[in-house]
Amino acid sequence: MSFKKIGAEEKSSKRPSLLKKFQGVFSERPVEPIEVEPSILRRWTRRDLLLFGAGALATLAVGGSQLPRELLQQLGLAESGTTGPENKWLLNQALRLDDNLATALYSQHHLVPTYSKSQITLLKNNYNGATPDPGYIPGWRLTLGGLSSGWTVSLDIEGLLARHQIHDQITRLVCVEGWSAIAWWSGLRFDDLLQAYPPVSQAKWALLESSVNLDANGNPDPYFVSIDLLTAQHPQTLLATHLNGKPLPVEHGAPLRLLAPMKLGLKNIKAITRISYTKDEPPDYWEKRGYSAYDGI
Amino acid sequence: MSSGRPSRGETMTTGARASKPRALVVRRHHLLVRISHWLNIPLLLGLILSGISIYWASPIFQHPPNPTTGNFDYFADAGIWICAHIPWLHHYADPANWVYNHGSLGPSMLAFALRFHWLCTYLFMLNGLVYLVGLCIGAGWRSLLPRLSDARGVLQMVRHYLSLPYVILARRRQIHPSFWTKYNPLQRLAYFTVAIAGFLAVATGWAIHKPAQLSWLTAIFGGFDNARVWHFWLMVFFMVFVIPHVVLVIADGWDTLCSMVTGWAIKFRRPEVSDHEL
Repeated sequence: MSFKKIGAEEKSSKRPSLLKKFQGVFSERPVEPIEVEPSILRRWTRRDLLLFGAGALATLAVGGSQLPRELLQQLGLAESGTTGPENKWLLNQALRLDDNLATALYSQHHLVPTYSKSQITLLKNNYNGATPDPGYIPGWRLTLGGLSSGWTVSLDIEGLLARHQIHDQITRLVCVEGWSAIAWWSGLRFDDLLQAYPPVSQAKWALLESSVNLDANGNPDPYFVSIDLLTAQHPQTLLATHLNGKPLPVEHGAPLRLLAPMKLGLKNIKAITRISYTKDEPPDYWEKRGYSAYDGI
Repeated sequence: MSSGRPSRGETMTTGARASKPRALVVRRHHLLVRISHWLNIPLLLGLILSGISIYWASPIFQHPPNPTTGNFDYFADAGIWICAHIPWLHHYADPANWVYNHGSLGPSMLAFALRFHWLCTYLFMLNGLVYLVGLCIGAGWRSLLPRLSDARGVLQMVRHYLSLPYVILARRRQIHPSFWTKYNPLQRLAYFTVAIAGFLAVATGWAIHKPAQLSWLTAIFGGFDNARVWHFWLMVFFMVFVIPHVVLVIADGWDTLCSMVTGWAIKFRRPEVSDHEL
């Protein structure tokens, strides 16, 4: 009955034995002092402090080696003007682990939450650079490459709208920066396009490009994203043509944009001009700038 | 931070052993608990610094934009205020980013901050598991569980700490409430809460990170935006926890600090052991 020693619980001894047994499992055990030679205490302390110091130094060194050079220079830990590759091994491993986990979490049968029209929020124009001049819209064509037929197909928006069923969905678009917006989108399923124009048999990826994208100074800056075909086949992955029931405005990617609500906003490329199917993972605009390549949410 | 007067271990227990001087120690923390405790310092530091860099990209707490500056972020306001009121910062080049330049990995480095955050996150989760394993095999978990019967002791301790400033200023003496347990009830509550906060910080983090695949988790915290608010205040909780934690361990003495390095303490209350010796 060692737990009886714990002052506050002495009262409980009058309670039914079942409760007492239960309390016994959770009750604190009395400490058992051990006798040691005083000299051993000092030796332990020295050994422990040495190990502790070595561990702390190692942690600092490993953590510090992963910091970007500008930050180390700012802290006065690195000489300014040093060049050469930065050590990003651990950071890259963490990102890869996170992407592998996101890939494992992905399921084509798991639908992202949908919302009602009353929950729609304001969606800002988040073109990374300047918004393109709408002059490209009348002559816009979508080019498909990497098809099993071996042909390159060129489609216009009227043909796409006429040939495919249009689906509506109100979903949340989540930006890598942390903001999000709920919007009402309509468009054809990416999967329907895949059925109509099947990719080459070994294809696992789609490269989506927008040739009309501009940088902040208004110069051409083609945007491109990689999308795995499993995500493209998801029933909620749309090639959106409408926002809030109206044709897409230029700031939201007229006339056709990707809407993959299980990916971060940066994968949801606007004003798609070309889709090519590939066997190997294609490049990605933001992956080159240090972000994840998978971006599954 | 064991309470009460220390009982130095050099007591002779039996006559037979009286010839040799012996020290009595108690085991306080399992090796795995100690390792995970100290690893929390660099990990939480990395998580907070990179977290504030991520926050910079899209602050959760915004006010309507200031008509002249266009600024909408409270942290930017704070930076501007600091630079306006601290004499040697009057000529600081970028007052709106002062907080981010000093309390984060820096502004405009979202991609790096995210990767650094993931690295620290996975290590933090691993560290949490190490801590739990250490608590289980070291049987330390029993000392951490708060009990309903702790309520009175918690209030006693709160009253003790609240009256300390007065007691010190008035040069009076106040007796520390005494408890027979490894931790006093307030400590127990604090350590238990901070462990739960660690779990919630991870859970809200995943709710923000995977709001589509883990939509059920995001829903538990009231949706994507609310999960971000939770995640933010949990960070604040860790920052606030550290202050009394460090102050009190220093106040309590070297032995308490050392026990988190070596695992044993020479300071313990006699009644903690009495039923084995009597």
